[in-house]
Amino acid sequence: MSTTSPAADGPTRRRLFEAAAGLAAAPAIAQAAAPAPTVRKSGAVDVVLNVNGQDHPLTLDPRTTLLDALREHLHLTGSKKGCDQGQCGACTVHVDGERVLSCLTLAVAVQGAKVTTIEGLAGPNGAVHPMQQAFIDNDGFQCGYCTPGQIMSAVACVKEGHAGSDGEIAEYMSGNLCRCAAYPKIVAAIKQARGKMERG
Amino acid sequence: MADDTGLIGKPAVRIDGVAKVTGEARYASDEPVPNPAFAFLVTSPIASGRVRSIDQTAARAVPGVLDILTHENVAGEITPPKAPDQGKTTTTLESDKVWHDGQIVAVVVAETFEGAREAAHRINIAYDVQPPAASFDSPGAQEEPRKLGPEKKDPVKGDFATAFAAAPVKIDARYATPTQHHNPIELFTTTCVWDGPKLTVYEPTQTMYGLKAGVAKQLGLDPANVRTVSRYVGGAFGSKGMLTSRTAWIAIAARRLKRPVKLVATRDQGFTIATYRAETRHHLQLGATPDGRLTALRHEGWEVTSRPSGYNVGGTDTTARMYACPNVATKVNIVHADRNTPGFMRAPPDTPYMFALESAMDELSYALNLDPIELRRINDTQTDPIDGKPFSSRSLMKCFDQAAARFGWAKRNPKPGSMRDGDWLIGYGCATACYPSNIGPAAARLSLTPRGKAVIQLAAHEIGTGAYTTIAITVADRLGLKLEDVKVVLGDSDLPPVPVAGGSNNAASTAHVAAKACEEIRAKLAAAAVAANDTPFAGLDPATLKVTAAGLVGPGGKREPLDKAMARVSGGPLEVHVENAPEGLKPGALAGLYQGQADMVRGTARKDVTAFAFGAQLVEVRVHARTCEVRAPRVVSAFAAGTIVNPLTAYSQFMGGATWGLSSALHEATEVDPRTARYVNDNLADYLVPVNADVGSLEVIMVPEEDNRVNPMGIKGIGEIGIVGMNAAVANAVYHATGRRIRELPIRIEKLL
Repeated sequence: MSTTSPAADGPTRRRLFEAAAGLAAAPAIAQAAAPAPTVRKSGAVDVVLNVNGQDHPLTLDPRTTLLDALREHLHLTGSKKGCDQGQCGACTVHVDGERVLSCLTLAVAVQGAKVTTIEGLAGPNGAVHPMQQAFIDNDGFQCGYCTPGQIMSAVACVKEGHAGSDGEIAEYMSGNLCRCAAYPKIVAAIKQARGKMERG
Repeated sequence: MADDTGLIGKPAVRIDGVAKVTGEARYASDEPVPNPAFAFLVTSPIASGRVRSIDQTAARAVPGVLDILTHENVAGEITPPKAPDQGKTTTTLESDKVWHDGQIVAVVVAETFEGAREAAHRINIAYDVQPPAASFDSPGAQEEPRKLGPEKKDPVKGDFATAFAAAPVKIDARYATPTQHHNPIELFTTTCVWDGPKLTVYEPTQTMYGLKAGVAKQLGLDPANVRTVSRYVGGAFGSKGMLTSRTAWIAIAARRLKRPVKLVATRDQGFTIATYRAETRHHLQLGATPDGRLTALRHEGWEVTSRPSGYNVGGTDTTARMYACPNVATKVNIVHADRNTPGFMRAPPDTPYMFALESAMDELSYALNLDPIELRRINDTQTDPIDGKPFSSRSLMKCFDQAAARFGWAKRNPKPGSMRDGDWLIGYGCATACYPSNIGPAAARLSLTPRGKAVIQLAAHEIGTGAYTTIAITVADRLGLKLEDVKVVLGDSDLPPVPVAGGSNNAASTAHVAAKACEEIRAKLAAAAVAANDTPFAGLDPATLKVTAAGLVGPGGKREPLDKAMARVSGGPLEVHVENAPEGLKPGALAGLYQGQADMVRGTARKDVTAFAFGAQLVEVRVHARTCEVRAPRVVSAFAAGTIVNPLTAYSQFMGGATWGLSSALHEATEVDPRTARYVNDNLADYLVPVNADVGSLEVIMVPEEDNRVNPMGIKGIGEIGIVGMNAAVANAVYHATGRRIRELPIRIEKLL
């Protein structure tokens, strides 16, 4: 008989969403000193978004989320819309290196910050990031729709120092839903990439 | 059949893996279209009644609003859609009638998504409200026995009533399963683009040709003028297996504006504009001898559906066939309520119906004082108990034995409540999993270049199953190529048709057509080679020649480079277009495939054999003695499903299915407000699905099984079976842990208090 008890100290859904919301708030502080967007007479705003190392001047409805700005205005469709209300994690990107839910972040709020999406994760020579390779090697996905968000979270999870054990990885990856349920393989992928990221 | 030299049965990473991890994989709403307008749906806040009036003033005043579709301006423009069973279903903008909560009552189109959303919230609609019937037992709900077509009848055998009355040991119990929604992470999206009379629909679908034919019919278009594109589907699980109402309206919106229109429905709208797994009820009666042989089995089911639809899943086709029993009676009833029409959801009939049967079998094992696995062994059979046909193969007990060994079942103390670890009560439970093996007709186009590169094209569906890769494996295997030399193009209705990606037919249907295309290329090259004088093969039997990357190879190691062999039959690449009609297919089914129909050879309706994949699922649960929290730290599943084309992706699919089962047993339920017939928890925070930290150890054993009767390649299909045994296995484990028999899912804390 196994004597290990189940994860009694495991995460609750509420704690995870609180964590996610906390992360989403981080860039708001980071960009406090960023230039204010120009508001046009029509109500549209002129903003410059720095995405994957490039500046993109855009004129947006001020209500445009970072996710919609990426997808509909910059045609960077790797970041996915799964709920548009911060519940699934499919839209996860990095803002100034922190993982952020782009559906809960207004585009105007990240002016002056550096946004990295799944399209910007590969190396300059086009080689996939060790985390991307690890997801392939471990079959850490099925349909692939949540995968960009999983990978952006996974890279952040390692960088945050939250990939110390299987349990810790599972905890800190629980803001990213995978309905195909590749979870154990996602944990395996992060363990594989962890070493390479730390060495690299 | 898998062999040591080929690629079939060897694990391979997905050939679309790079596309999926880099964001390059294009899901329907990722497709770039020029200058799209954005649609936002307005859905009804009532479940029954009529739209009395629509005030668009405030909505029209929102900057950038381009058009608003309501029944007042578009009612006559479409033929109403069909239900998943091709019968009647609810309507949307065809009239002022409101059939269910969340029905589409208007479509707002604007220059921006933000503008469309604002305007949608500013439409003022008044309703005449009727009191709705929410579900079973609601005033106004109408029950009737399901109607069966001429070719189908309820499975029945012997004389149940007499046998049950005489049975020395009896179980008589009722079970229930809740409403569930698929909730794929990809939302329900539709983008429509017109080019003159031609319409392109970008929409995630499990049925490229079904969507094409359905939209064409609704809009009165020649199907040749409709193209559907769905290169990757972001999770489906049945939810994208049929045409829904939104598609035609977006097409009409795009036609009115003469501009592409893009809809990304919201998460909560997905609960009502698409389908779901209806709640079910079951009455199970089992009679047995004291030594455990079943003598009588009766299974009656009740399922909710919408007012106009007769859709039901009718899982008695499965439960009647599971065990050797001479006296069987079954019946299925439907209950009409003011709800949207349900549809396919992962193992549609089997998930709810096997919960009832496998729970009752567990109850019987306690009544008999028998180990539940031994009870299944006593009643195992190689013959379909209803019609006497042999099972094409049935490795159920091998699955139980291998899973039990791996799980440590022998350590189980049979007494409920007897195993404990501190505050945690431990329970072991098991159940049978199964799913009929289906195969459909399919077509494909395959080309091979003289340098040994192949391209196969077919309108198949990648919904996470790894279809790109299983098809590539088949072609590489049959043409002796490396996997990277095979390109697979799917997800476009301009390509040859395949059936709906559902009912676990995908791998079998596509592998057989791919293999047939390869054979046609081989045969052409071989026939030309043996007829020519300038080859080492002159005069040989063409059947002895094989295609490989190195060329045409014959007996005794004779070979000829591919470019030379191909020069004989084609100037450059050799292309074949093939159709595969599996044995036993109804006449006309192949032609019907091009019309979007999905006639298949079904495992429960064959003349020669009954064909199922089988499995055994064993679960450890831990129930906290004081808080009643239930955890399932360990699952071992074993499946025998014939040839496994790609064990790497198959493992993922089985594991995902088992996780779905844990979720179904412990978490998932869509709450229906009994007063308003509205879905209450229509979002991903309140509709509980597992997160990473919720799942423990999920082991999968693939039991080798060769089945040359199910189909030539021995492929039974695996997408559905992984969930099937889990509901009961968990409930049975909870009983073992606590002595509490929970007959209504999901098993949440409140049911154990």
